[in-house]
Amino acid sequence: MPPHAQPRVPQPSNGKSRRQDSVPKPKQRPDTFRKPVSTADTGSHHHQRPPRLTVRICLRKSGEQVHILGCEVSEEEFRAGFDSSINSRLVYYDFFRDPLNWAQTGEALPGGPLGALQAMCERTDPGPVTVALDSLSWLLLRLPCAALCQALCAMSRQHACRGGGPAAEQLCVLGLLHRELHGPGPMGALSSLAQTEVTLSGTAGQASAHILCRRPRQRPTLETLWFSVLPDLSLDLQGGPPLESQPHPDPHTPQVDPASHLTFNLHLSKREREAKDSLTLPFQFSSEKQQALLRPGPGPATSRIFYEPDVFDDLDPEDPDGDLDV
Amino acid sequence: MAAVATCGTGAGSTGSMVAAGSKNNVTSFQRRGPRASGSDSSYSRLVSIAGTRPSVRNGQLLVSTGLPALDQLLGGGLAVGTVLLIEEDKYNIYSSLLFKYFLAEGIINGHTLLVASAKEDPADILQELPAPLLDDNVKKDFDEDACNHKTAESNIKMKIAWRYQLLPKMEAGPVSSSRFGHYYDASKKMPQELIEASKWHGFFFPEKSSSTLNIEPCSLTHGYIKLLQFIQNTIYEEGFDGSNPQKKQKNILRIGIQNLGSPLWGDDICCTENGNSHSLTKFLYVLRGLLRTSLSACMITMPTHLIQNKAIISRVTNLSDTVVGLESFIGSERETNPLYKDYHGLIHIRQIPRLNNLIYDVSDVKDLAFKLKRKLFTIEGWRGRSFPNLKI
Repeated sequence: MPPHAQPRVPQPSNGKSRRQDSVPKPKQRPDTFRKPVSTADTGSHHHQRPPRLTVRICLRKSGEQVHILGCEVSEEEFRAGFDSSINSRLVYYDFFRDPLNWAQTGEALPGGPLGALQAMCERTDPGPVTVALDSLSWLLLRLPCAALCQALCAMSRQHACRGGGPAAEQLCVLGLLHRELHGPGPMGALSSLAQTEVTLSGTAGQASAHILCRRPRQRPTLETLWFSVLPDLSLDLQGGPPLESQPHPDPHTPQVDPASHLTFNLHLSKREREAKDSLTLPFQFSSEKQQALLRPGPGPATSRIFYEPDVFDDLDPEDPDGDLDV
Repeated sequence: MAAVATCGTGAGSTGSMVAAGSKNNVTSFQRRGPRASGSDSSYSRLVSIAGTRPSVRNGQLLVSTGLPALDQLLGGGLAVGTVLLIEEDKYNIYSSLLFKYFLAEGIINGHTLLVASAKEDPADILQELPAPLLDDNVKKDFDEDACNHKTAESNIKMKIAWRYQLLPKMEAGPVSSSRFGHYYDASKKMPQELIEASKWHGFFFPEKSSSTLNIEPCSLTHGYIKLLQFIQNTIYEEGFDGSNPQKKQKNILRIGIQNLGSPLWGDDICCTENGNSHSLTKFLYVLRGLLRTSLSACMITMPTHLIQNKAIISRVTNLSDTVVGLESFIGSERETNPLYKDYHGLIHIRQIPRLNNLIYDVSDVKDLAFKLKRKLFTIEGWRGRSFPNLKI
């Protein structure tokens, strides 16, 4: 049965978000994004082949092992299209054909999916390794979320213990997640574990990836990339969003004026400002009196009297009692 | 008891000792002298625990949280025997910084530490602690910061409040190691010899957990049971609850629990709404009982933004003593809002306890914002652009 002719469960083209758990790749190159891709030979059926692009890009790094936990597609379908050199470096754990091990062939890993995760860590050689989980949604539907989170964190730790080197360079766990299948709870929980979160949307022609990168003890960075996927499964990065889907650009965002939406008026007109400046305040003394008051004088023995006549005082040196009506 | 109370004690544990000491006497006034009972002599030892001071309000024994600004907001510090709950910000940057300040303060003061985490190894957490700022360096930085901050404003001579022109602009200053509350440099790490000289116990849940047990509903999850047992054993063996009369100096146990309630502890309140909603609340209840009967203070960081059932958050708030929420502006629309441009986030004081007291000890400023400068974490009252900032 040719793998391409069988239609898979149709998935919407803008629904996959990918997570990269535990430790990110050392280099964040632009072509490390995976996206649902329509294979060129099927034409009208837009099949999603996310992990293949994943694996292809992972394998560009020389000598790096890639382990795949495949739950959603069969192994033949997954490996089709890769040349033999890449296929020989893929280690595939098949959970698609017989997830519950009914056939009892003895090949399956013990312990169910959780046991498989642990076994994957034990079987990896020390050195840079990428583990791709296709998909985390499949695991979340069958395992408790807390147990899955603990297993994901344990993977990187075990690998670091065995490898002996810094964990950051050793293990990269890549998890695929179907965003529309889960509520905010599991999404939030997995998101808090992930160091990089890539949210994909769009179609094969124009797709966007929102990347949130959270390194420990640093500010998270958020960026958006637009790209399209070429028939040979490589990525073509585009500069900005395609023109027809761009909203009207807003070049000058007006500065938020905090005094603009109040029920009282905080602004002063020119006349009001002049009137305010020319107002004499009751305790506004001359500057020499201010300075004298600020710096305490030689002591209480000498006291000075400051007299500043205001506009209503009428000083007549000859007759100080002239204004009295005596 | 009134005469004895001038030593400034009032915590629950000492209260029980007072009751035990005075029940043989007719009156509660006790003479301080060679005739005094054994519990009296312990008061003078209790007061002189390093890194503590009595509260000015009610004599409650306080320890510093590691951040002098937060100490002021909480009424002088964190009371011994209580729980401080920090609601984490979205990306867990500033809450982990506060956690590290708390532990670093314990190391500087010589307290015993108990660090519990399900995500990071406690040994790694201790390696990342910030370095304390020494006096002369801090003084220079404070003066620099004061100059930068005030150059724009000092040129305006005050017209109405001219009597305040000569008052010093900056009141908070650096502290020496003998004082309460220290400043830390977040860009440098604590010297290795200080960490090695300190006494600490680590609880890393993935190492301690055995195979998964079957848990009945409404009971504690496995991780919480283990953690409570660990804390209880530490308190008992080290004598923090007064069970073994210690010949040596009494000390404070600082407990730090990171990311409590996250799925890594085995709790699913962050994943579903209808999970085991009583596990975390039971844990906090038992923990508070352990703390009240021992000389310890606890700081917990919890990712409350992930908890799906909002009723749990209010129960958790009720079961904790002091609750502080952090909200950072990263990634939100407030980051570009010019009103918030000077700050990195908001601090919400959700709850302050009434310990041996009838009234709260809240600060007057309710809108608080924080910013992490290159070395210091400052908290200021935020009033927006039109009004001057209140520096507290």
